[in-house]
Amino acid sequence: MSAVTETVVARKKRFVDLPKHAIIWLVLAMELIPMYMMIQISGKDNTTFMLNPWWPVGLREWAWENLAFGFQLIGPYIANTVFVTVSITFFSMILAVMAAYFFARYRMPLHGVLWYFFLILMLMPGVANIVPLFMLLKSMNLLNTLWALIVIGIAGGQVFKIFVLRNFIEDIPRDLFEAAQIDGASHLQQIRHIVLPMAAPIIGTLAILAFLSQWNDFMMPLIILRDKELFTLGVGLIYLDGEYVKQWGQIMAAFLIASVPLFILFIFCMKLFVRGLAAGAVKG
Amino acid sequence: MAPQTVSLRKALHEWRLYLIVLPSILFVATFSYYPAISAVYHSFFEWQGGEVKQFIQFTNFRRIWNDQVFWSSFGVVSILIAANILKMVPSILLAVLIHRLRSDKWQYYYRVLVVIPMIVPHLVVLFIWKFFFDPNLGFLNRILDATGLKTVLVHMDSLFGWGVFREGIPIAWLSTPDLIVPSLIIWGFPWIGAVGVLIYLAGLQAIGTEVYEAAELDGATSWQKFKFIEFPLIMTQIRIMLVLLIIGTLQGFGLQLLLLGDSGGAGGRGMVPGLWMFNRGFVAGEFGYACALGMVLFFFILFLTYINNKYVRVDK
Repeated sequence: MSAVTETVVARKKRFVDLPKHAIIWLVLAMELIPMYMMIQISGKDNTTFMLNPWWPVGLREWAWENLAFGFQLIGPYIANTVFVTVSITFFSMILAVMAAYFFARYRMPLHGVLWYFFLILMLMPGVANIVPLFMLLKSMNLLNTLWALIVIGIAGGQVFKIFVLRNFIEDIPRDLFEAAQIDGASHLQQIRHIVLPMAAPIIGTLAILAFLSQWNDFMMPLIILRDKELFTLGVGLIYLDGEYVKQWGQIMAAFLIASVPLFILFIFCMKLFVRGLAAGAVKG
Repeated sequence: MAPQTVSLRKALHEWRLYLIVLPSILFVATFSYYPAISAVYHSFFEWQGGEVKQFIQFTNFRRIWNDQVFWSSFGVVSILIAANILKMVPSILLAVLIHRLRSDKWQYYYRVLVVIPMIVPHLVVLFIWKFFFDPNLGFLNRILDATGLKTVLVHMDSLFGWGVFREGIPIAWLSTPDLIVPSLIIWGFPWIGAVGVLIYLAGLQAIGTEVYEAAELDGATSWQKFKFIEFPLIMTQIRIMLVLLIIGTLQGFGLQLLLLGDSGGAGGRGMVPGLWMFNRGFVAGEFGYACALGMVLFFFILFLTYINNKYVRVDK
């Protein structure tokens, strides 16, 4: 086949996909409507919004004071949420890696019992636990503190993480560990110098999943937190929805600011988001 | 590498290894096991959450047996589960469409675009939809008016006698009892789940191009390709999503709490089992009864998990 006909065939093939592209764009456009609305309304005050609900206003008429208002309102909540979410992600990953190492490397006495001790939790629905959990925190004097959220968050995701990590750690060649042991490395050193680098992609994916689910959580904060200074994003937004129902521009600006931290995370971890989410979930 | 078996004698020497797993065990025992056991215990008590509690044997469970609200809430949640299963279809189709594109570059771009809505917190998406449902300002009504779909709905209403859509009156989605369940279903349109799409795409990647070429030589239509090549290959992923979705819908109540409030909206038509438990515990202060409700819900979920494991086997 000559080069000319080849390019003709290639061009033909490219156009074959056009209807698919059109459908995908249509669906994605509809999926992005809430985001579009959030962004364009955040630049308007209520009068502009009533006159022109659909289209964004120009940058010169953009109501920047909405963003300032939103930041003032949401900023402290974001700080609380970052503190809680980062602590949970960090500590729960450390605990899960250690526990997974225990199960993946050795079959110590009680191995089976302990493994089922974790596994059974997968069947237990969280919803039945909410009321007694509230009572437990009350008796521990942890109600209305961010620590309550942190300890619950650390405990909550353990099973899933240990379950996934165990598979990955079992795949690491045993020679590596044995070589380290001959050099006199302790278990913690082996975790640090062998498990962490070798299982880094799955640890990253699990950390992102943990971060996302904590970032989006509002049920526990709603039950636990009373003081406004301690509010996380979830509760803060719920109260905002109740209080400022009239000023849509300000509300949407607050929503927009609430999305910024995840946007920053997304830019830095796009690969983990796009590739890791699926791979991690399937392997688990 | 399978775990290395350690003899009891060696284990006594290596007892420090248990310290590695101990922190996890302590956290899980305190914040997962203890509450679960406490829930079982307190379901036999009349308990307002204070020091005082009274042992009442099975009275809570007898009350549940006659609890109309609780049992009708299972009706609502069944409808939502059925709807949510149908709502998996757009994600599956989108994944297949993206996968069939010839350009790898575009496949990657579309993945990124699918993930982008995830940066908006779930709660914010819910509140934006709540705003869309607003009768006067909401975009749903504006779009229905602008496209003329409202007239169609009004005609269908007069045909079937629903009594919910009237000419000239804005549709009050979240405050008309008969429209509450439909609202709970249509929110999130077009129902693309980013994680779902990515998981299906990961499954589809197992299909090599030669499979498609062979199918094309045999003159397979798009539908046949889907039915015989793509669908069987993502069956595992679909099952995983199905199991997660059913259990998640059965025990979830955040959506209802935020859109409709803690009494399940007008006429309690959006009441689901989890919300009723929340309502009894934190609104009515009947913590003993709430624990009992949680127990019953737990057995339903356990039963469903059992069915799942038996009939909807997930092969790894």
